Amino acid sequence: MRSPAVWVVLTALVWVIALLAIPFLGAELVRPTDLLSGEPTVAAVFWKLRLPRVLLGLLVGGALAVSGSSLQTLFRNPLAEPYTLGVASGAALGAVAAQQFAPPSAELAIPVVFVAAFAGAAGVTLFLLGLARSRFGFDTATLLLAGIAITLSCSAAILLLQYLADFTRTFRMVRWMMGGLAVVGYREVLWVTPWVLIGSAVLFGMRWTLNQLLAGEELASSRGVDLKRLRLWVLGVTSAMVGALVAVTGPIGFVGLIVPHILRRATGHDHGYLLPACLFGGGAFLAFSDLAARVVMAPAELPVGILTALLGGPFFLWLLIARGDR
Amino acid sequence: MTDAALALVRLAGAGWSVASRTILGPIELEVEPGECLVVVGPNGAGKTTLLRLVSGLIEPSMGTVFWQRTPLSALTRRELAQRIAYVPQLRPARIPLSVGQLVLLGRYPYMSRFQLAPGSNDFDAVERALGQVGLERHRDRPVDELSGGERQAVFIAAALAQEAELLVLDEPTTHLDPRHQREIAALIRRFNREHGRTVLTATHDLNFASLIADRVVALRDGEVLACEPPASAMRPELLERLFEAPFEVVRAGERPMTVLELDG
Repeated sequence: MRSPAVWVVLTALVWVIALLAIPFLGAELVRPTDLLSGEPTVAAVFWKLRLPRVLLGLLVGGALAVSGSSLQTLFRNPLAEPYTLGVASGAALGAVAAQQFAPPSAELAIPVVFVAAFAGAAGVTLFLLGLARSRFGFDTATLLLAGIAITLSCSAAILLLQYLADFTRTFRMVRWMMGGLAVVGYREVLWVTPWVLIGSAVLFGMRWTLNQLLAGEELASSRGVDLKRLRLWVLGVTSAMVGALVAVTGPIGFVGLIVPHILRRATGHDHGYLLPACLFGGGAFLAFSDLAARVVMAPAELPVGILTALLGGPFFLWLLIARGDR
Repeated sequence: MTDAALALVRLAGAGWSVASRTILGPIELEVEPGECLVVVGPNGAGKTTLLRLVSGLIEPSMGTVFWQRTPLSALTRRELAQRIAYVPQLRPARIPLSVGQLVLLGRYPYMSRFQLAPGSNDFDAVERALGQVGLERHRDRPVDELSGGERQAVFIAAALAQEAELLVLDEPTTHLDPRHQREIAALIRRFNREHGRTVLTATHDLNFASLIADRVVALRDGEVLACEPPASAMRPELLERLFEAPFEVVRAGERPMTVLELDG
């Protein structure tokens, strides 16, 4: 049997390839020679637009996949991820509300949007936690239905806010809601980096504990796992990460569903391998998806959130139908 | 009192109630070091509650549970798990792990979050445990592919890898055919006799109890009716009071075996 470590190394390689190759690719190819000759437009496109965008994709995709796989283990449900559980919608509602109620003058600072997005994500998470601990239990149908209900409610609230907003704001909100990585410069990259790294490190630190959940909560508890604390930590960390990402990119769905599902087939369920593979694989997946989104309708650029949702919807249905409740 | 005479676990007026309904106790019970103590009783007698109480999975709502002289509540979860290994009856229907991975989970109480991988002593313990249950050849097989009996043996192996002094098993032979029941019984007895570990288990299978028990605890409606060796515990009056069904007791060699009577 091949060691799962091989897959971690492989995904890391793909990650590095994405970082080195994608900034050169797109509707307009950047030739390395042009870049080295210091041609100013080419340099600006490469350093100010493409490289930060690729970096953002690599970080955000990784964090989404790590959050998704942790939530799937916690809820014992392969369909759980920030988007399907409604956590991302909660974050989006928070962020949109912040944009609506802020003074009209300028764009909001990221930390302000983040606090609002985090509040939204944490609110939804706490609600799910309460629901899961109530008489309904952790069963698949209830959880997913709750996620759908939360997403619908948040969407309605977001639509209301958009309806009340003036034209510029509405446009900004709609564009943001599509989920995208279009950034200029490194402000956003610098903002998400610590969240992604610290969040992933904390979840990786809980890898043995997450593994225990695979054999059931009763057994985990008998081996010394503090289930309450574990739930709070996993949900707190994923909410903080998702809030931080959504504040920058808007909601990007299904990365946290597709990537862990595929990687689990390669690495198995051991979180010591699965989480690092998700960090690299999820990043590479989102970066390449974003490349596709930039090219497919060139010269227009498709927001990558639309592309992942188009891929993820059918994938989710396939999981639901083919694999059933497990 | 010397340490030799000290009970491994002692329930001192311990009981558990939920929503003002008492499920168990208050009861007095001692688990002696090295013994195999089997709890028998009808459905809903509080057997699982008793095991969960002893394992520290639930806190007593009255009285105290002691590990030797220390109340369980004074031990950390980790310390508790290094002393007591629990094999629950109810487990997830599907477990996405290999046999080796599942047994390795038993090493959790010894692992630090800062170690990158399990240590060689962890893998040694896994190998030993798999050897003890005779499943070394199946190390890389998915747990979900095993038969019910093999699966139960894997969970027992995981508990062995935990290297705890006390092994607590809830209904270890339920749903198993006679051959696998025998194998699990033999496994438990070997663990108890040869490795000197203490065993506490619950069952409604009286003949299984008679086969492995040093002492039998008869539990009904959360109360201990008797606690004695199987030779004396397996008497029709007690069993009838316990299960509200007529029994006949026959001897198979030294061992008392029970038979349900239909015309009683």
